[in-house]
Amino acid sequence: MSLNTLLILNIRWIIRDRILQALAAVSLFLIMLVPAISAFSMRQTQELAVTLSLSFVSFTLLIFALSLGSTIVWRDIERRYTYTVLSLPLDRGGYVMAKFLAVALFLVVAAALVGSCSFIAIFISSFKYPSQIPVQWGMIMIAIFMDTLKYMLLAAIAILVTTVSTSFFMPFFTSIAIFMAGSASQEVFEFATSEAGTRVSGVVRLATRVIYYIIPNFSAFNFKLQAVYPIPFDPKQISYVTLYFLVYTALTLSAAVWIFSRRELT
Amino acid sequence: MTFPIEIESLAKTYRGKKRMQVEALRELSLNINQGEVFGFLGPNGAGKSTTIKILMGLISATAGSARLFGTEVRQAAARRNVGYLPENPALYDFLTGREYLSFVGKAFAMTDGAIAERSGVVLEQLQLTDAANRPVRSYSKGMVQRLGLAQTLLHEPELYILDEPMSGLDPIGRSLVKDIIRQLKRQGKTVFFSTHITADVEAVCDRVGVIAKGKLQALDSVDNILRSGVEGYTVQINGGGDLAAHGYTQLEEQGGMREFLVPKDQFNDFIAQVAVEDGKVELIETKRKDLEEFFLEIVKQGNVSA
Repeated sequence: MSLNTLLILNIRWIIRDRILQALAAVSLFLIMLVPAISAFSMRQTQELAVTLSLSFVSFTLLIFALSLGSTIVWRDIERRYTYTVLSLPLDRGGYVMAKFLAVALFLVVAAALVGSCSFIAIFISSFKYPSQIPVQWGMIMIAIFMDTLKYMLLAAIAILVTTVSTSFFMPFFTSIAIFMAGSASQEVFEFATSEAGTRVSGVVRLATRVIYYIIPNFSAFNFKLQAVYPIPFDPKQISYVTLYFLVYTALTLSAAVWIFSRRELT
Repeated sequence: MTFPIEIESLAKTYRGKKRMQVEALRELSLNINQGEVFGFLGPNGAGKSTTIKILMGLISATAGSARLFGTEVRQAAARRNVGYLPENPALYDFLTGREYLSFVGKAFAMTDGAIAERSGVVLEQLQLTDAANRPVRSYSKGMVQRLGLAQTLLHEPELYILDEPMSGLDPIGRSLVKDIIRQLKRQGKTVFFSTHITADVEAVCDRVGVIAKGKLQALDSVDNILRSGVEGYTVQINGGGDLAAHGYTQLEEQGGMREFLVPKDQFNDFIAQVAVEDGKVELIETKRKDLEEFFLEIVKQGNVSA
């Protein structure tokens, strides 16, 4: 009951946020430009349209995940809403979970909306300039779905950081840093464990290994290449990555709930 | 016996930078009885808000315990029968007043019908009906305060914890809040409110606790305090002989009417003397220390002993 009440409250807040409304409008506008921009490519118009569309979807979700994840708890604390909300008979665990679920739900809706627009943009491009490769509609959907999971995980991490922070900057920039490191960690890890990596000092290799296992591997969620070109891949990968998302997000949110339940709201 | 509020040896120490420690509360023990209006009086920084934040589960105590209707304050269930108004309340400003009350009602597991009905009643009571469908961001400070009070009344709890409820209100708003507190008392509800304005306590409270430097300095009924503060009487006499000759202090004389200042312990003798001198008592007024003087005295003592 309390989770439901808080979820509805947070969804209302997100929907009525004028900055988010403006960001959504800008991203939709950018996607509508895809057919025109991809026409500049003389030979791979369709491929460029898919790449651009997926990039715009990804960028939009990144902005939403960062701006919402790192502010949704912080704003309550900064504007002192926590005094009124948490003095109601609502538990803090439900409060944090409702924040995450509201952001996650918004990301799903945004992905569906911006994804649908990108489908239209890709369809227009592929219709005007047909390619020898058929459009991988199913893979494009999978790529968008995986991107959505990736940014939900990023939002969970941002919420975790806000539960320990009192400023806006720390969660925002920490989340960006984790996102960048998590997007590159796979390649760095592969280099460190390759033969070429033996030239790097043992301490650096150990640190690379530790960081690789601690921070989330965001590159695992990247299926864009398979969406643009018909590159074969093992479908089990989707299940593994989804499971990875579920476990990592559950651990992150558990930590956020544990910390926030002990936080002093002075 | 379960009290609406039970506080036992409560202490709170804030740890600041450079390992600096601030003792905001020290050994606070206090029980609030069912149906009483309790004024928690203290200067700024005395520990009033810290106590209330502990009661509402917003911060944890360093030592001691606190219970609401027998339930430990850290549990969300302790707040089910409580209406809380924070100091300068911040309410979700993207909601309208009515939406905000609906959110609060749902948090207290009220039905939609009950929320609609009670919202109408409390909005009317707090004179916010016309503004009910406007976003809270368009409200004045006093309106936000009144909406905050409306949310405490919505689910008709047994206990009201109000942190500086009169702050930010104009005289009309203050009078409205006092009326509501009196009304709650008539309904047998318990009200615990903090303030640093003694006149508010004198006007509505049954009992008062004075806190200074994190320590409870005094705890008594308002009646007792006012009674013990009686220093003497000013008595207006018409006629009579030379009372000043008997050692009584005459304050003024106007058209045959004389006013005397009579110490408390000499009052009976004075009245007897007036009768002997064939005078007529026209008016007797009690001269006493008011709650503010009592409060200042207590705070002064607290500062010396701290």
